[in-house]
Amino acid sequence: MKATALIGVTLAVALCSFTAEAAMHWAPAPVKHSGGHGGHDRNAAKPFMLVEGDGASLSLINPTLNATPLTAEQNRVAIKPTGMGNYHALVATHSTGELHESAIRYVYMSGKSSGESPSLLISHEKSALEVEPAPLAREHWRYYSATDAIFILRFRGKPLADAVVTLATDNGTTGEFRTDTGGRLIVPLPEDFSMIKPGRAGNKPSEFMVTASHSDGGQTYITTFSSAYSVNPKHWQSTELGLATVLGGMLIGGFIAFRTRQRKGK
Amino acid sequence: MPFWKNLSVIRKIVQLLAFVFLVYGSVVVGFYSADKLSGAFPILSCAYDAKTADYCVLIPLQHQFGHRLGPALSAGMFSLSVMLPILTTLGTFFILFVLLNKAFCGWLCPLGFFQEVLGMIGQKLRLNRVESLDAKLVDRIRPVKWLMLGFLVLLLPLASGLGFVAPELGDPFCKICPSRILTSLAAGQLNQPYIDTSSAGYMALSIIADTMFGLILVLSLTMRQPFCRICPMLALHAVFKKVGLVKLSKKYTPRCDKCGLCSKACPMDIREIHTSKEKDILFPDCTLCGRCVEFCPDKDVMSLDYAMIPIFSSSPQYFKQRNLAQRIWEGKKVAPRKIKDA
Repeated sequence: MKATALIGVTLAVALCSFTAEAAMHWAPAPVKHSGGHGGHDRNAAKPFMLVEGDGASLSLINPTLNATPLTAEQNRVAIKPTGMGNYHALVATHSTGELHESAIRYVYMSGKSSGESPSLLISHEKSALEVEPAPLAREHWRYYSATDAIFILRFRGKPLADAVVTLATDNGTTGEFRTDTGGRLIVPLPEDFSMIKPGRAGNKPSEFMVTASHSDGGQTYITTFSSAYSVNPKHWQSTELGLATVLGGMLIGGFIAFRTRQRKGK
Repeated sequence: MPFWKNLSVIRKIVQLLAFVFLVYGSVVVGFYSADKLSGAFPILSCAYDAKTADYCVLIPLQHQFGHRLGPALSAGMFSLSVMLPILTTLGTFFILFVLLNKAFCGWLCPLGFFQEVLGMIGQKLRLNRVESLDAKLVDRIRPVKWLMLGFLVLLLPLASGLGFVAPELGDPFCKICPSRILTSLAAGQLNQPYIDTSSAGYMALSIIADTMFGLILVLSLTMRQPFCRICPMLALHAVFKKVGLVKLSKKYTPRCDKCGLCSKACPMDIREIHTSKEKDILFPDCTLCGRCVEFCPDKDVMSLDYAMIPIFSSSPQYFKQRNLAQRIWEGKKVAPRKIKDA
């Protein structure tokens, strides 16, 4: 099933020349690195840019669902710490006539615990049409290439069945997927990184974007969900070797147990 | 002996329920870190298990030493706000720990339960279990848990944060922890027993982790709880053991000198519970499993207390029944008259 989907994505890359106009979406804004000591400043503002989003209304929703309006400068926003920890939703909405667009991205912020689960923020209706991560990657888990990302597509809070959703990555992969009867969408993130180096630190994450559209009552709704995804660690972490080493440990354990038994016998 | 009167059976049931809840509990509590019970649980409940109900306290401790305290000291920006997450983690651990003390190890830890189950299988397979390790070997092993806590949980993450050692050593205990492999395998993930070839450091740590897991799989069949003896959580518990509400008490009598059944029953080979004349016999290696109380043949000489109130005390009748149940479990010959008497 997974292999078929991956082949589908690969075929889509081969056959499609992705020239369609991209929908409004969030992406990390390029930043100048100052160098020096490794690590990152937890209190530094996180810069993002809104692509294809001129005139959109922007807001940041915190874990307790309080929304703060944002103002973009040249389509860039810098998200400063809100004092509250955990995921915040960066939301852009834009309506022109019969077209209603939205772009959503979840941003992890350091700060004091809000006491709320990210489930509250994720299930909160942020736009009429919404790609809801189910679940969103959390600590010790990231979106990785060659793994499935799962979503629920919702329209006015209800799952949208049999809808076509597209995937596009910054590495050039595109693909089309369809939601099931419960609005569930499984997106196999492609193995499309080139020049992979051993180790997480040596590989910069890339971006993927899931776009959904839906028409209802003469109105058209388009929404995007964007996030980073990383190179799958299987490139430098071998499960086969790991299991062989476990077996080696078992053999050493067997030897120790045998020796102990022999000594006890004497 | 009816199973509901057998403390060891009751404990196994509690351990099984705790194992299921802690390994698969995200179905109940939720998937995200904020959903977890405490984020600083006093047992080896691993965050790498996608379905876990809570995280082991050693994870945030390593991260906070490595990612916050180390860099802050390095930049000369030490302040209370830097220490606050560490104090919050230890405070959460402390509140939980007061409730059950070292019984977290003996009654709730998934890795402890797994080793005990393997031990039971070893008994049934007649793999010549070493009931008590040699006293000299026990004495040599005992300091290892302190070294594990000191170096792997505190010093190396701090040194990594200060930039003195490689980033691989930012969370070295998690990298070698057998519970990471066990609980993620139990949750249906095959992504944790791996060999990491990205650097020499990661490769060494992953080889240690996988080899140790293999060792535990086999040694647990023939030896009682091999990893518990070197577990840094046991050492962290030992630091706070005086404040816990659960205690192990003894009323020494001269008969104790001639008996020693308690220390033979102890899965951690704590021979001092036999020789000690103190009232408080909660030693650093104790997991509060209660086997010593079960196998004490004298009335009220040993007891498990909660907030100073004895909740389980030794008694000749319980000892008789429990000893018989143990002999039947081990497949030893028992005279029908003894079964009737018990």
